[in-house]
Parts: sequence; C-alpha cells; structure tokens
Amino acid sequence: MILLSVVITIVKVILLVGILMTGFAYTMLLERRLLGFFQLRLGPNRVGPMGLLQPLADAVKMLTKEDLLPSAADPLVFRLAPVVALFAALAVDAVIPFGAPIHLFGLTISLDIANPGIGLLYVFAFSSLGVYGLVLAGWASQNKYSLLGGVRSSAQLISYELAMGLSVLGILITVGSANLETIVQFQAHHWWFVFTQVIPFLVFFTTAMAETNRIPFDLPEAESELVAGYHTEYSGIRFAMFYMAEYINMITASGMAVTLFFGGWSGWSFLPPIIWFLLKVGAFIFVFIWIRATLPRFRYDRLMNFGWKVLVPLAFVYVLATAALASGAI
Amino acid sequence: MVGFIILAVLSFAAAVGVVAARTPVHSALYLIGNVVTLAVFYLLLNAEFMAAAQVIVYAGAIMVLFLFVVTLLTAGKEERERSEGLPGQRALSGFLAITAGVLLAGVAVRYSAGPSVRPFASGYGSLPAMGRLLWGPGFDYLAVVALMLLTAALAVLVLNRAVDDGRRPAKVKEDPS
Repeated sequence: MILLSVVITIVKVILLVGILMTGFAYTMLLERRLLGFFQLRLGPNRVGPMGLLQPLADAVKMLTKEDLLPSAADPLVFRLAPVVALFAALAVDAVIPFGAPIHLFGLTISLDIANPGIGLLYVFAFSSLGVYGLVLAGWASQNKYSLLGGVRSSAQLISYELAMGLSVLGILITVGSANLETIVQFQAHHWWFVFTQVIPFLVFFTTAMAETNRIPFDLPEAESELVAGYHTEYSGIRFAMFYMAEYINMITASGMAVTLFFGGWSGWSFLPPIIWFLLKVGAFIFVFIWIRATLPRFRYDRLMNFGWKVLVPLAFVYVLATAALASGAI
Repeated sequence: MVGFIILAVLSFAAAVGVVAARTPVHSALYLIGNVVTLAVFYLLLNAEFMAAAQVIVYAGAIMVLFLFVVTLLTAGKEERERSEGLPGQRALSGFLAITAGVLLAGVAVRYSAGPSVRPFASGYGSLPAMGRLLWGPGFDYLAVVALMLLTAALAVLVLNRAVDDGRRPAKVKEDPS
C-alpha cells in the first residue's frame, strides 16, 4: 500500500512537471502571438499551423547554442543560479489543488502532490526562495548591469512579499486554516473570496505580478536600462531555464490567485473541476499578458513608494477590518 | 535515524563552509544551506509551522537582505581581507565553540539512557496548535516580544531621522580607510 502511494506520487510529480513545462512553452507562444495582435502585427506564425510548433523550434535552438561562461564569473554560482530559480518555481506548484479528488479503480487520488496543513506558508516559503536565482545570477556574472538587476530583484521581493502576506491573512481568518484544499472547499460551499476581499485580491494580484518580475514590475531585467539585467551573460539552456522559471512563476501566480480568490476548481457541474481550474488559470494568464502589453515600466522610487506606502497599508487595514468582523467586534 | 545522520552531515558541512569559504557570497550561500537543513530538522520533529517559519523568515527575508548587502559591497569579487577584525576573535570564537560543543555533548550523555520525552499529542507543532499556544498561555511572551520589536523599529526611525532640511536623511561621513 505504501509502495502504491509512492508510485502514485512519483507519477503525479512527473505529470505536473510535464504539464508545467508544456504550459511554459505554450504560454510563451500565446504571449508572443497576443503581443503581436495587441501591436497590430501577426507574431510568430510560420512554424507549423498558426505557429504551434514554434516552441519546439525554440527548444532546438536553445539546446544547440553555446553555453558561455564569462571569464570573470564565479563558475559554481553562475551555474547554480538558474537551477535555483527553476527549482523554486516548480516546487511551489506541488501544493496547489488542480481539481477535486478523483476516484480511479477504487482509489481516491487528490490532484495535488502534497496537501500539508501549512499549504499557504509552504507557497510563501518556496516563492521567497526563487529570488536567490536572480540575486546569485546577478552577482556571479560579474557584470555591473547584472549586479544591479540582482540587487533590484532582492529589494523588490522584500518589499512586495510583505504586502502579499498581509493580503491573504483575511482568508486565513475567515477559513481558519492554511490548507489550500480547505480554502477551496470553503469557497465551493460558501462564496468566492474575490467578492468579500476585493482590495486584498487587487493587492495580491499586484504583488504577484511584482514577484514574477513581469512588466510593469520587470525592473530586474529592464532591457532598456540594464540590458536584460541578471540574465545578460547567460546563453543556451541556462538562459532558457530563467525563462522557464519566469513563465512557470506566472502560471503559479495565476493558480494561486484562482485557488485563493476565485474558488479554485469549484464551478458549475457541466464541466469537470480540473477544466474549471485550467480555464480560470488561462484567463489570468491572459490578463497578465494584457497588462504587459498595456502598461509601461515603473520608475524605481515609485515602485518602492507604491509597495510600502500604498499596498502594505491597504492590505493591513483590510486585515484589521476582517479580524474585527470575524471576532464580532463590529 | 538515517535521515537524521544525512541531515546532520549536510548541516555540519554547511556550517563549516560558512567560516571556511573565502568569498563572502559563498559564506552566505552556506549559511542559507544551513538554515534550510535546520528547517528539515524541524519537519522531522513534527514542527511543520516552525519549519515553514524558518524558511520564510531566515532563508526568505533575512538572508536575502544579507545577500543584498554582501553582493553590493563585494561586487568586485575580491578575496576577503585576511586581517583580523577584533583582536583575538579567532581564539575567542574557538573557545566559545568548544564550550558549546562540550555542553551539548554533556546533555547528550546525560539523556542517552532512553527517551525521556513524552510522545507528541496529535496535531502537535501544526499551525492551529502553534496558534493556540501563542495566543493562549504564551500570549504574555508574545506581547513582550512584539513590544521589543516595535521599540527596535522605532529606534531605527529615530536614529535615521532627517537632519538637514527635514526631508533627506543625514549624510554618512566617508570612511577614511
């Protein structure tokens, strides 16, 4: 029986990594095509029907490029950094429930790899480790632009992680559990949190965008000021790993927003739960791309002011209000 | 037991790496490794909240700030200066380390007869159990710690208060060295 559960877990891990890698490739293609449409051009449409084989061509290109190592770089840390970034990005997804538990051959299989009581804290722990990839890459490259990118990313993460943590506290107070499956069940039976926690949702979405380094928060790589910042010196597969980490982080952030505020896999019964989950995540990815095509990059001082003087107080006041309501003080 | 030994070796190697590494960034990396192995120790001891808090606070926040400063200051990747910071700091730290080791060994010998701790109650170390402990019997300590941290935060604001035109922080004097 233990052996069986180990096998099931291994199969789930392989499936999850496979789905995320495929998801990364096609999110990237979707982004390039959508950006094309937003900018009144076509985007990549030559390789395969509607450009659907473009990710394959990109993969072949990335794998056959030379793996460069700058002569001044710290070889070990330089090679370690993209691995750290990708590992942290993949590890977060282990606790996100992708669907309601399914029944197969008399077994109940939950659609997450692990379901710890501290699920939400697990997500925060691993998402905060992702920044090491960027900081170490910036430092190990021994290039002033890369270093600036790495330093920017650490300052940005520290500032926005706080607001992100505060923005989900209201949910913890209401549900009384940090277990993601419990949070989804609560929303399936009561209401989606986006209706009662509008401001925390906006704070969470903004900070999630900042933590994934997406435009308008892409200051660590800012190609017009920092020449791609922390990954300037990278090439080939290691460069691709940073891209994988960024896009998987975007999928994860969408998945977390759906799980916490949009009822996770819950939905009307004419579609299976996992389809609802994927549809909602897809909608979020579209919004991420839409925002990228719309907004210019923040100036650095405004980024810090916005984080500390707007997002943190907003989230904090809302947590106090939720606590007061929950304890019956109002 | 096997897991404990593997973890102990990793943790020990990381701790030695912190002092032995020649580059400050490598030292910081070893320290992160040490912090993460400690979190896995907590997990083995059934303290899942402590493990998560360890990673979030130490690995996710404090060490990021450490790396922020270290990468800025050692951008040129020079080797650490060999001169000693405080007179006799090596001897003193060696003495302290040996004392701590002897004390720990003494504890291990004293309690080697058998398990003297009760088995965990169900749910021990989980988030709800920690919450009940912190906001129940432990609340006085929690309040004292909160007050202390608030005082420290206020002290930082006071020490960095604006001096010249009331808006900008005071200029730091250039270090002559």
